[in-house]
Amino acid sequence: MGSLQYGVSVYSYVNDYGSVMTLEDAFDHIADTGATGIEILGEGQVEGYPEPSSAWLDRWFGLVDRYKLQPTNFCAWVDTRVTLTRNLTVEEGAAELARDLRLAHRLGFKFLRPKFGVTSHELDPDPQWQAYVERNLDLAHQLGIVICPEIHAPTPIRHRVTQGYIDFIERTGTTNFGLMIDTGIFQDRPLTHWGSHQINDEARKHMAFLNGIKVPPEQFLDIAQYVVFIQAKFHDIDDSLEDLNIPWRPVMSAIKRSGYSGWLSSEYEGLRSPWRAIDQVRRQQVLLRKLEAEFDAGVLA
Amino acid sequence: MLEHQLIQSTGFRNIGPVGARTGFAVRVRIPNYHGTRLSQLDGFTVTVDGEVFPFEQNRLGIRDEVYTLAELREETTARWGLLEWGEILVDKPGGLVPGVHHVEVLARIRYSYFPPDVHVFPMHEARMATICVA
Repeated sequence: MGSLQYGVSVYSYVNDYGSVMTLEDAFDHIADTGATGIEILGEGQVEGYPEPSSAWLDRWFGLVDRYKLQPTNFCAWVDTRVTLTRNLTVEEGAAELARDLRLAHRLGFKFLRPKFGVTSHELDPDPQWQAYVERNLDLAHQLGIVICPEIHAPTPIRHRVTQGYIDFIERTGTTNFGLMIDTGIFQDRPLTHWGSHQINDEARKHMAFLNGIKVPPEQFLDIAQYVVFIQAKFHDIDDSLEDLNIPWRPVMSAIKRSGYSGWLSSEYEGLRSPWRAIDQVRRQQVLLRKLEAEFDAGVLA
Repeated sequence: MLEHQLIQSTGFRNIGPVGARTGFAVRVRIPNYHGTRLSQLDGFTVTVDGEVFPFEQNRLGIRDEVYTLAELREETTARWGLLEWGEILVDKPGGLVPGVHHVEVLARIRYSYFPPDVHVFPMHEARMATICVA
């Protein structure tokens, strides 16, 4: 048995969700892959967010119990540019984060990914993020939740954004804040679709990261001590179980050699054709577990 | 449940009194992968059979409320859930002729986590849709 834990993000099924898939269907699809964790979008799967009804809460706990899935990560957003003319104040941003931490805890989650507003094309977070988080570290500690912003393309590992988060961990000494790695940073071949968007030349020009920012997987080892969660981003796995964009063999090798033993949460972001995500997630779960087993057997360098 | 695509079949209809229609409505699911506070939406441009109805003039109806663009931009409390539909309300005296039309919607969503100069993200979809009642 390997040491990694496997989960699936309901984000994988966006567009299907609410049209050809209910929340219970999502639990069924995830549990049937053999995964044991479920990741959700807070303002997405939680009906009535940010104040779900007691009927919805009963349904949630019933599903968690019936399908034996552990709530893993709760995705949240801080709408920094709250209107066209005004940004959230520190107090407002911190209050949004506190509200989401409490809701995530209530639903049984152990990780919360906040998405902060950014100020640049290199995705530098709005400097207020430190105050949002610092004001909530005690609350996160009480609730047993780790706040984990994601390192997501086009931001690579060796970058001031990543370093800024690491500096914060070092300065505060907190165990309630860590890095989430989105494996899209390792993408080394171009995408053909980005979610529901077919990628044209215009999009490639504005969003060069769609061609892959090709972070060397070995760099994972440099920051692994700060990594608390991995979103296993992918877009297309073919009938031979080959991923057409993410080089999983060296990625899995680096993850295993780092000693990371947390969640790998499938996050499909390929073509949004009805029902396509369901089997794509199944393929990725098989692929990742196969590679972990090969590593454990000493046949994956 | 909703239809998979952004523009829904049902809800594409004329509005206003029969015989004196004031415009039409286009029902859409949320043009985003997660629920959204309304101030993060910056309007919807609708094009029907090539005729453009700019986002500045269209309104959004959701649940029992109707928002102009100015109201939408300042609505920081009310939200649009992932499983709810909204409707874009478009002024067009006389409404649309019953039958099949080419309908395009360009939804403008604001993402704080996109760089400021490109943070209004255009989400575009088009389809054939049918007006049933004059």
